[in-house]
Amino acid sequence: MDLILNRYRNLTALVAAILVQLVLLAYQVKSNQEVRLIRVWAVSAVTPLARLLEGGRSGAVTFFKDYFVLLDVREQNKRLQTDLNRVQLENQVLRSELDTAERGRALSVFQEQSQMKTVAARIIGNSPGSNGRVVLIDRGTGSGIQPGMAVITPDGIVGKIVSSYPTASNLLLVTDPTFAAGVLSQKNRVHGTLKGTGNSNALVDYVQNEQNVEVGEWFYTAGDDRVFPKGLPAGTVTAVRPGRTVKEIFLSPSGLQNGLEDVLVILEGDHKPIPDLPPPGQSVHLQPLPTSEGDSADPLSAARSSGAQTDLDREVEHTRRIGEDQKHVFGERGRGAPDFNKVPAAAPLAAPSSPASASPASNSQAPSSSTPSSNQPRP
Amino acid sequence: MSDPDRTERVSSTRLFRDDTKFALGRIAVFQYASVAVFLFLISGFWVLQIRDHEANSTLAERNRIKTVPLLAPRGKILDRDGRVIVDNQPAFVVQLAQENLKLEHLAPIAEGLHLDLDDLKATVKRYAAGKRYSPIPIKRDLTPAELTFIDSHRDPGTFPELELVQEPRRLYPQNGLAAHVIGYVGEVSETELNSSDFASYSQGDLVGKTGLERQYNEILKGVDGQRRVVVDVAGREHQVLESAEATPGQNLQLTIDLDLQAVAELALEGKKGAVIALDPRDGSVLAMVSRPAFDPNLFAAHIKSADWKALTTNPDNPLLNRAIQAQFAPGSTFKPLVAMAGLESGTIDENYSVRCNGGGTFYGRYTKCWQKGGHGGVNMHAGIVHSCDVYFYTVGDKIGIDNIAEYAEQAGLGKKTGVDLPGEAEGLMPSTKWKLRTQREKWYPGETISVAIGQGAVTVTPIQLATAIGGMANGGVWFKPHLVKMAAPTDPRRENWNPDHIAKVVAGMYGVVNEGGTGTSAAIPGITLSGKTGSAQRVSNDLRKSGKLAKDELQDNGWFVAFAPRENPEIVIAVLLEAGEHGNLAAPTARDVIKAYFDKKTRLSKIAQPSLALIQRPGAAAPPSVH
Amino acid sequence: MSDIPAAFSDPPRKSKVSKFKWVSIVGIPLAAILFQVYVPRFFTYLAYLEMPLLVTVYFSLMRRSPPFGVLLGMCIGLAQDSLSNHPLGMFGIVKTLVGYFAASVSQRFETNNAVLRLVLAFFFFFFHQFFYWVLARALLGEAVSFEPLQTLVLAVLNAAVAVPLFHILDRLKVTD
Repeated sequence: MDLILNRYRNLTALVAAILVQLVLLAYQVKSNQEVRLIRVWAVSAVTPLARLLEGGRSGAVTFFKDYFVLLDVREQNKRLQTDLNRVQLENQVLRSELDTAERGRALSVFQEQSQMKTVAARIIGNSPGSNGRVVLIDRGTGSGIQPGMAVITPDGIVGKIVSSYPTASNLLLVTDPTFAAGVLSQKNRVHGTLKGTGNSNALVDYVQNEQNVEVGEWFYTAGDDRVFPKGLPAGTVTAVRPGRTVKEIFLSPSGLQNGLEDVLVILEGDHKPIPDLPPPGQSVHLQPLPTSEGDSADPLSAARSSGAQTDLDREVEHTRRIGEDQKHVFGERGRGAPDFNKVPAAAPLAAPSSPASASPASNSQAPSSSTPSSNQPRP
Repeated sequence: MSDPDRTERVSSTRLFRDDTKFALGRIAVFQYASVAVFLFLISGFWVLQIRDHEANSTLAERNRIKTVPLLAPRGKILDRDGRVIVDNQPAFVVQLAQENLKLEHLAPIAEGLHLDLDDLKATVKRYAAGKRYSPIPIKRDLTPAELTFIDSHRDPGTFPELELVQEPRRLYPQNGLAAHVIGYVGEVSETELNSSDFASYSQGDLVGKTGLERQYNEILKGVDGQRRVVVDVAGREHQVLESAEATPGQNLQLTIDLDLQAVAELALEGKKGAVIALDPRDGSVLAMVSRPAFDPNLFAAHIKSADWKALTTNPDNPLLNRAIQAQFAPGSTFKPLVAMAGLESGTIDENYSVRCNGGGTFYGRYTKCWQKGGHGGVNMHAGIVHSCDVYFYTVGDKIGIDNIAEYAEQAGLGKKTGVDLPGEAEGLMPSTKWKLRTQREKWYPGETISVAIGQGAVTVTPIQLATAIGGMANGGVWFKPHLVKMAAPTDPRRENWNPDHIAKVVAGMYGVVNEGGTGTSAAIPGITLSGKTGSAQRVSNDLRKSGKLAKDELQDNGWFVAFAPRENPEIVIAVLLEAGEHGNLAAPTARDVIKAYFDKKTRLSKIAQPSLALIQRPGAAAPPSVH
Repeated sequence: MSDIPAAFSDPPRKSKVSKFKWVSIVGIPLAAILFQVYVPRFFTYLAYLEMPLLVTVYFSLMRRSPPFGVLLGMCIGLAQDSLSNHPLGMFGIVKTLVGYFAASVSQRFETNNAVLRLVLAFFFFFFHQFFYWVLARALLGEAVSFEPLQTLVLAVLNAAVAVPLFHILDRLKVTD
């Protein structure tokens, strides 16, 4: 036996190594468990080096930027100054609150007023095999980061944490196809779900074709996905077209527009109202409404909200109108039975443009115009 | 023998010695061969033990191969003209994939989807005990926010067990329109699963619970399909391994006419009662309404326990289909059948007269007629037209309970009509035999007096009454009432009733509406509508006087049964108004529905024969019975 | 840090086993992994460069010891797995095999030959990608597609990088 092992030393080593890894793989597949320890080691070994590298690189880049692109910096400075002024103003308000009121109350006010609790982090690498849609950031559980936390930049949402290690975390970017977040449009408060597509655009799903969304419009987080606090910018609409079942809306994620180096991880969210104006510092080129986008101006789209109906609902509405038209209450003695062949006067809302409305016996046409009045109380 | 063997060995040793290179090559080949065999064995082991274990589903760790159920939409329910009564609309159901399920995820999932954690745990436990790896539906009819929550948490790193499946959801008419006819669907219950009717179902399946949804569940439900697909981490399909499309359930075409149903629905709005309209010529139900109603849409997803409680504890019992389940004394609507029994049994003829002075003493007890002043001399025609109680007390006494029961039973009272709906009530037609069987007592002739005017022990359901009167007017031919076109009966039940006798009773019923009888409010100019009013006490006179009853119970039920035209009737209708005091109040409902029927007929004939449209006035004399 | 070029004339089995400092054996693979994690952030196309693979091939070839190749391949592969989102062991198994075969080949060929290195790097890259695909399909049932043509082109590119890279790495050899 000894001899055999010696003689086939090489082969034995190979078989042993593969067997060990197969068992490891089998364990993961069978038990659906992560072998966290090994990952933690590897990540912990790589992060300091990556951080070092990133530090050196960004230092160099900053140096070059400072040196050569002064103009751009001045521009940025001006913007930052505006931001700073705003923050300072808020600070002053809070400080005065602290001064005037008694201490305990002021502190609670401060807590209420405080923005989100965040941790700044820097992106230090790509996760292998993720096509750059999962990145490594240099903060981990040591900084209080846990999977499921939202990651943003001042420009908008970036992604969410999918796994965290002591010194680093994996961040799933908005562009990854498994990413999703609830969003609301700024103008019409249209609700949808932002989903990554794998390329630089994201799309907004579940928006009905009848709902109105414009190119250039901002989408903000809706706060209902339990990941992102409400009111963070998500991106601007780059294209809208009606789809087979739902509208196809493409979004350019604003958080990724200005490159990705430093991000904020939200430890504790704070829902904010959706602003009525685009966020400061974003010079958005708002295109005029394209006239071809005709369906957005269609008043019929409003009627949809009344809910889906069956033909029986429509028939009852139609019959009810016959009764109202002839001042007859069904089931009451009245002046005898009504004439069911006397078509009631067209409802004032009926759109004359539709050729279908020309045929009076049409059942399908009756409801859409009559729905607003359908809830009239009857004696 | 030994020679070649030796040479072989010699040559091989020489080879080994002389050409070590070749030998090394052999060893290398041997090495690689053993690695290959080893790998082959390992792969076999892998496939058997790791990957294909539990029917391929274990490797769903990252859902590479996934079985996507394609839930079949139930068939639509259509009216007789093909108009949609029950439709489907797309909706999502969220499921937990058992192979990916981690129990510690349940708490956040329950929170995110607004579910009760204990309920969720119980559901998971229930499924874990059942078929392994069958997905657990945990919530239907998701809100947009819940949809977003699921989408943003179903990535492999968070809750990979969350799965969204599109499931067509039932869309019922609003405000409880036709609710009792349609019924509703719900998740199959444990007790149902144990019964043979639902043997082929598994937990989480939707089945019809009541009404037509239940009766025709097997036809309405489709066959779910499934696709085995290869998906990437994002859940996007890359390759379809196997696909079995869902077969939608068959549509169900009813005999219901929405034109009539709508009128009946509106006429009963805010009231308590039922309307049933039949075509006596084939038994098809044209309209069936019961009020108060419930909203079946509440059940379409998953009824909230609060809603369910409100429905079941409501004293008005909105879940009861009064058209087939309410059993009440028919009151005076029973009188035409008593008259028929008299004529058919030969006890009386149409000229038999009775003097009504507003009451009479029968078996030592004075019983009043509803008309205080009395009707004077009353023959059969007048007895029906004016619904004279004294006439029927006398006649009923003469005919005897068993004759009345015989003919009433021939007309279909006292037993289920066999309409294609679950839960039909039987009603009751008393007789001497019945009393002996159930109460072991003799029938007292005094009891016949009550039964003769439709009081006492006799009870009917609206559908029984409509069927009975319709069949009589049809010449003694009774068709089984049915709601679904394909359930049309082929052979009716015939009784050998004398057409002359029928014509005489019908003449009385014509008089009720058109000759100043009790049902004049049902008259429609140009239509020979015939009918009979009825108002029936809900409780006996003795109990009534005790003063211990709710106001509702003191009030009479109003009945009206009618058909038109007088000869060869095309439509028969029974209207019940609970606590409606008198049948007179129920009559306009019948009138409106019948008017709608004939107006529609006129409308259709105009379309069919445009040249005639100029001649015919709408609502004029009954159109030719060409159909 | 010797700079002696390998003797081309040496018969294969007598060619000596190159030795390296432990620091380089640990450091170089780590740097390769770091390169793969970090650099493609700025130069996306460099994601196609399998530095860890090339390093595995190089060290296995030079050490000429299959057990060493197995161990090195396994370590580098597992480290790659750890940083990725796949289950651990996928890169591990593939690189283990690469290490073993590279070391086996080195026992029979002169590994300092640039042409041979080019061919070997090309072959092993293709083998690596193909076997990873086989494993992903067979073991995980993943639906990753395999494009032979693209893989061939990438193999050529990687091989082209491998030759100068190996040449640089040769400088780390320790002479006795």
